[in-house]
Amino acid sequence: MIVIVGLSHRTAPLALREGLAFPKERRQEALARLRDEVGLAEGMILSTCNRVEIYGRAEEARTQELVEFLARFHGRAVDEIEPHLYRLQGEGAVRHAFRVAASLESMVLGEPQILGQVREAYQAAEDVGSLGSVLNALRSRSVAAARRARTETAIGQNAVSVSHVAVELARKIFGQLRDRAVLLVGAGKMNELAARQMVREGAWASVLGGRRFERAEQLAAALGGRAAPFETLRAELAKSDVVISGTGAPGIVVRREDVEAAQARRRQRPLFLIDIAVPRDIDPESAQVPGVFLYDLDGLRAVAEANLRERQKEAAEAEAILEEEIRGFLEWRRSLDVVPLLAELRRRADDIRRSEIEKARRRLGPLTPEQEQALEAVTTGIVNKLLHPPTVQLKEMASNGHPAEHLALIRRVLGL
Amino acid sequence: MGLRTYLLLTLLLYSIGALHALVHTLTRRRLLPTLTLTSTLLGFALHTAALAQRWTEAGHFPAVGVRDAASFLAWATVLVFLLVYVVTRVDAVGLFAYPFAFLLVFLANVAHPSERPDLLLDHRYLLVHTMLAVLGYGALFAAFTMGVLYLFQERELRSRAPGRLYYLIPSLERCDTIGGITVIGGFCFLTLAILTGFLWNHSRHGRYWTGDAKEWAALLAWVIYVLLIVARQRAGWGGRRAAWLGIAGFSIVVFTFAWATLAPALAAAR
Repeated sequence: MIVIVGLSHRTAPLALREGLAFPKERRQEALARLRDEVGLAEGMILSTCNRVEIYGRAEEARTQELVEFLARFHGRAVDEIEPHLYRLQGEGAVRHAFRVAASLESMVLGEPQILGQVREAYQAAEDVGSLGSVLNALRSRSVAAARRARTETAIGQNAVSVSHVAVELARKIFGQLRDRAVLLVGAGKMNELAARQMVREGAWASVLGGRRFERAEQLAAALGGRAAPFETLRAELAKSDVVISGTGAPGIVVRREDVEAAQARRRQRPLFLIDIAVPRDIDPESAQVPGVFLYDLDGLRAVAEANLRERQKEAAEAEAILEEEIRGFLEWRRSLDVVPLLAELRRRADDIRRSEIEKARRRLGPLTPEQEQALEAVTTGIVNKLLHPPTVQLKEMASNGHPAEHLALIRRVLGL
Repeated sequence: MGLRTYLLLTLLLYSIGALHALVHTLTRRRLLPTLTLTSTLLGFALHTAALAQRWTEAGHFPAVGVRDAASFLAWATVLVFLLVYVVTRVDAVGLFAYPFAFLLVFLANVAHPSERPDLLLDHRYLLVHTMLAVLGYGALFAAFTMGVLYLFQERELRSRAPGRLYYLIPSLERCDTIGGITVIGGFCFLTLAILTGFLWNHSRHGRYWTGDAKEWAALLAWVIYVLLIVARQRAGWGGRRAAWLGIAGFSIVVFTFAWATLAPALAAAR
């Protein structure tokens, strides 16, 4: 049975999540102790900044032991962490594992990092040998399902952070950013963040610097571009496709007249102005100039929110895909279940035993209660002795996760 | 199979595309895109068969009268749409192409076939001229579509509150590029159509220019497209201006088509 015990951003405050996180260097130790102290047949630990979860497989649900282990490992009291934990087993645990990998449980819906973190966690468990056939199957099926949800729905599309939104808008205007000119007004950190992504996509950066020109030069060097003095603003505007402005200036830095002059020289080709300064750098009136797309922080945030709503709509579709994959996984698990096979085997044997006793009785005539009892004991003994090795073997095979074809073969051999 | 059945089946298959375009716009959900494309391809094949059969039945190239002209124009529109879609994979083009093709085939289904033997004097030019014109219309329609998409996307981007269309329409640059290529293709066909039109005039009336409204309109559209293309190449007038010019040019093209199709029919009715 698959069990999960854990906590996430939905159930626990950051302080507690930090306290219960498993740092990378202690993960090996933790996995080893899981096996020894809790008696898990398989174990895996997923520890990110938003969730800490222990995945395990055991003959019976050992959630309580897992809770105690989690508390003991981090030196906390069970009572303290208990209210923030969820305990899942069987189908619920499988569903949770799939949803986490597909980032349906993430703080930022559809964020791409979680899948990498999940894969890494499984890999770490595999490296120390605590991954068996069941968790391995869960790993491959849930990762494949997450990929499917990602490619077949737009859950991971449409940026939800301000700097990514800026880049995405630039793409929506210019198509590819290759060889586009990006002008940074001011050498602040925020400017760099948005510009870096554009440069990575092939854009050229120029940095306008003011009094502290060496900072502009440093940033330009970091971006593989060039620096220019602030006085050349108009000329630089005319050469640019994207302008990112984020100075600490108290007033307007890029005036409407500057933008108009630039647009006249640019023949009104699209010009994307991004104002990430507070107070604003670019005259809001510039938005009226033909060909100009002006976004300030509020505008970028509005797009990010619209994108998030978009993702939420996609989530419903992603969930349908996951549900399908989860059903597939559970069915596959059930097909590996040997309990019904064993029950059938036993019932069949018992039927044969009874009918043989009937036949014997007809031939032997009336029997004394002692004889009756002896007959019963002898036949039951034979059946039990015969069935003992296959029962043990089958249970063993089940826990090793032998493929469904093996079980099908056994059914055929035994005529079930 | 009768011609009517062909056309009805074509209509049915195109309606899947039109319906998908509608659902796509309203919900932004791409329902079975493969099915839509397959049904369009199938519809196009049936449509071609319908045209071929009509050609054999009528004994002349089937582009005369409302029914045949509408059907033929729809055929060319779908052809151009399929080409554009296969090359660019921009499915927003279908938002316009599907309803347009659906409407035209619907029109072809309800209209009565007309026979006007007087027009068939010069078989050669009828075939060449209409083929060129209709292919030109198809390409110019695609350019018109890209222009409209461009303007919609520009409005979305300027509004700073992205709505449905923001997600649906590709980037401005892409709209502009595809619009630019289709407009050049359409313009080449249009030019050749006008030239063959003159030749046809000459062989029928002994004059190249008859002064018909259709000729003036075609010339006007041609001039607008020349302006558009020259402005694009020389002055870097892409984007919204090109989009508007493309829309204006296409409106006049629609007029020439409507005039060429309806005027003789109206005259005949009188």
